[in-house]
Amino acid sequence: MVASDPRKPGSDEMSSVSRRRTLILLGLAGLLALSILVALFIGTLGPIGPSAQHRISYGDALKAIFTRTGEWENIFWDVRIPRVLLAGLVGAALACAGTAMQAVFRNPLADPFIIGVSSGAALGAATAGLIGLTAAVSIFLPPFFAFITALVTVFVVYALGTVRGKVYADTLLLSGVAVAAFLGAIVSFLIYFVREQFHQLIFWLLGSLTLASWDMVLVVAIAAVIGSLLIFLHGRDLNALLLGDETAHNLGVDPEFLRKLMLGVAAMMTATAVAFTGIIGFVGLIVPHMMRLVFGADHRILVPAATLFGGTFLILCDAVARTVAAPTELPVGVITALCGGPFFIYLLRRSRLGGEMG
Amino acid sequence: MSLQIKDLSFSFGEKKVLKQVSFEVSNGEFIGLMGPNGSGKTTLLRCLMDYLPAASEAVLVDMKPIHTFSQRELARIFAVVPQSSTTDFTFTAYDIVMMGRIPHISSRFVGESRADADVVHQAMEKTDTLRFSNRIFSELSGGERQRVIIARALAQQPKTLLLDEPTVYLDINGQFEIMDLIKKLNKEEGITVIAVLHDVNMAARYCDRIALLNDGVVESIGPPKEVLTPDTIHSVYGLEVVIRKDPFTKAVYVMPRTSAPFVHRHGTRVHLISGGGTGGPIMKVLHDQGYSVSTGVVNVLDDDYVSANDLHIPVVAEVPFSQVSEEAHAENLRLISESSFIVVSSFPVGPGNFKNLEAARAALALGKTVFIVRPKDLPSIDFIGGRAETLIADLIDSGAKVSEDISDVLQMVPEVRRG
Repeated sequence: MVASDPRKPGSDEMSSVSRRRTLILLGLAGLLALSILVALFIGTLGPIGPSAQHRISYGDALKAIFTRTGEWENIFWDVRIPRVLLAGLVGAALACAGTAMQAVFRNPLADPFIIGVSSGAALGAATAGLIGLTAAVSIFLPPFFAFITALVTVFVVYALGTVRGKVYADTLLLSGVAVAAFLGAIVSFLIYFVREQFHQLIFWLLGSLTLASWDMVLVVAIAAVIGSLLIFLHGRDLNALLLGDETAHNLGVDPEFLRKLMLGVAAMMTATAVAFTGIIGFVGLIVPHMMRLVFGADHRILVPAATLFGGTFLILCDAVARTVAAPTELPVGVITALCGGPFFIYLLRRSRLGGEMG
Repeated sequence: MSLQIKDLSFSFGEKKVLKQVSFEVSNGEFIGLMGPNGSGKTTLLRCLMDYLPAASEAVLVDMKPIHTFSQRELARIFAVVPQSSTTDFTFTAYDIVMMGRIPHISSRFVGESRADADVVHQAMEKTDTLRFSNRIFSELSGGERQRVIIARALAQQPKTLLLDEPTVYLDINGQFEIMDLIKKLNKEEGITVIAVLHDVNMAARYCDRIALLNDGVVESIGPPKEVLTPDTIHSVYGLEVVIRKDPFTKAVYVMPRTSAPFVHRHGTRVHLISGGGTGGPIMKVLHDQGYSVSTGVVNVLDDDYVSANDLHIPVVAEVPFSQVSEEAHAENLRLISESSFIVVSSFPVGPGNFKNLEAARAALALGKTVFIVRPKDLPSIDFIGGRAETLIADLIDSGAKVSEDISDVLQMVPEVRRG
């Protein structure tokens, strides 16, 4: 019996669900577009910004952005537009990877940074850079090395957090924190060892978008689009996984394969982002959680919502990082950590009070 | 749909959990899997749904081994309801039920269709979960959550429901509610039910057949009244039980007879003078403490008579509604003379059983220690115009000891034996 009658109650719920989904995603896409535009205006040089001497009018800015003409064209097209786009893509990749990790670990506290995957990726990319395999040689080298080490890290942490087939949330998080600290220390050691400049260290450990280029935008875009699509297409399976392996299996999902695939994809997205921007923490934690609070846990809404809003979030964080301490710039990781640290503690307290964690 | 289990064996490493389990399930049946912890019930259930890899050919659906079905096909045949389901994630009840449609949605590139929404709606209607459709699943009560999980299972449109102790975390209300719901789906929708159940009486009440597992082997399978016998339960659970019929449902009803089945039987003999159901608890305490108890004189329909038979202890009985005969009285006196001490319960005394009090006086005359168990604030037990109370007072004057309950008596007993 196929009901096409729109008055049937089931159909009502159905159409309202899909209508809601469309509205949510349109709204978030609009928000992203708006944040891109606003972030382009914000800067030491721009219509909005900290120093009054270098004010550009909105008209000049829009003209430079949309017609690629005028005296400010280079500022926008060589520096600010790739930077804002890279921020958006990195934010989207990290938030989407975080969403997938939280589902795989069945724990709202998981995120590429906390689990140590970002540090693993940073180690690979930093090592590649130090031995001369830099982005200048090939734009694909840093993400490739970052991916290898990120993948190893995620499965090491997963193995550490698993005892006899069961993932223990506390063990997992502590293993992740320990691994992250350890790998971060190795990155620091290597950088000091080869007498690199101090700012390199800051770059890797706190994250920064200062080096943004169109090449990077392209590579991260490929990773973010492929990764988020793969995760989105497994949204229903991720939902089922959250009810336990047995239930997931009974719904026709292979839990072990799904976990490996999703962790691999999440590592790939994280690695690509980290390779160009260093470790930007907490994006993958805060964004999925905020989206879940507003739209619920259904991954078929959550994944695209977190991806879109992750972009918005990091674009705005970067705009703040660029301007709040003008004329110097803060690493964007400082801003995300300022938001993320307290947020993490709030989540930890809440899940403790609720009595359940994973 | 037919389901056959043929020589199913399964091991976790070296440990054999299932040993050549074989039975068949017919369409629309309600089967209970029972057995002590570790007997292999849950493992059997997991082999049926192919979550644990059973030896090929061991589980056959419509004569075909389950390995020939894809995981998605199996998901449309079997739907699983686990013991409990929790998630930290904020799914609504509707989200959860919609997950049941996953095995029916042909591709990950398409969304849920109207038809899927209708199936979900009906599943929620049948389980009475529509009213909390939009509430967060993890904030529902245990019983509500379990109903939602059953709705999810129904949304899979399965031929068979596999339930693993579905009521174990619920209060008594919730337990019956969920079992009634499952029975209803079994009857009205014709869904075959295979449920691991821990409560024998729940199983007796709801199952068409029960498979009793012990150490990986099917010890017994059949209708509850054939499977649930004192012998099978003793051999599987090591527990002494009595079987009754539930007066309302006519289902068999299992009651543990003693919680301490292996007591040291020291053989000290005690005779209990009782009646009117006042003797049962005393009998059981004495029996559990290893005494060889006898009792009398009681009428055949008396609860004390039933209790004595359940405990397999000697009982002097009289035909219903008749006076204690001389023969019975003499037999009572014989048992008294062979006992170390005598316990008298506070049975209601009327003309029919006044002789029992006289038997107590005879015991005192024989030099036996007599204990009268008389709870505080007991209303009068004298239904013979004061003669009973007079005689009891006389017994006490002649040395009978009065206690409020049987455990006080037992504290005094060692002194008695020494003296």
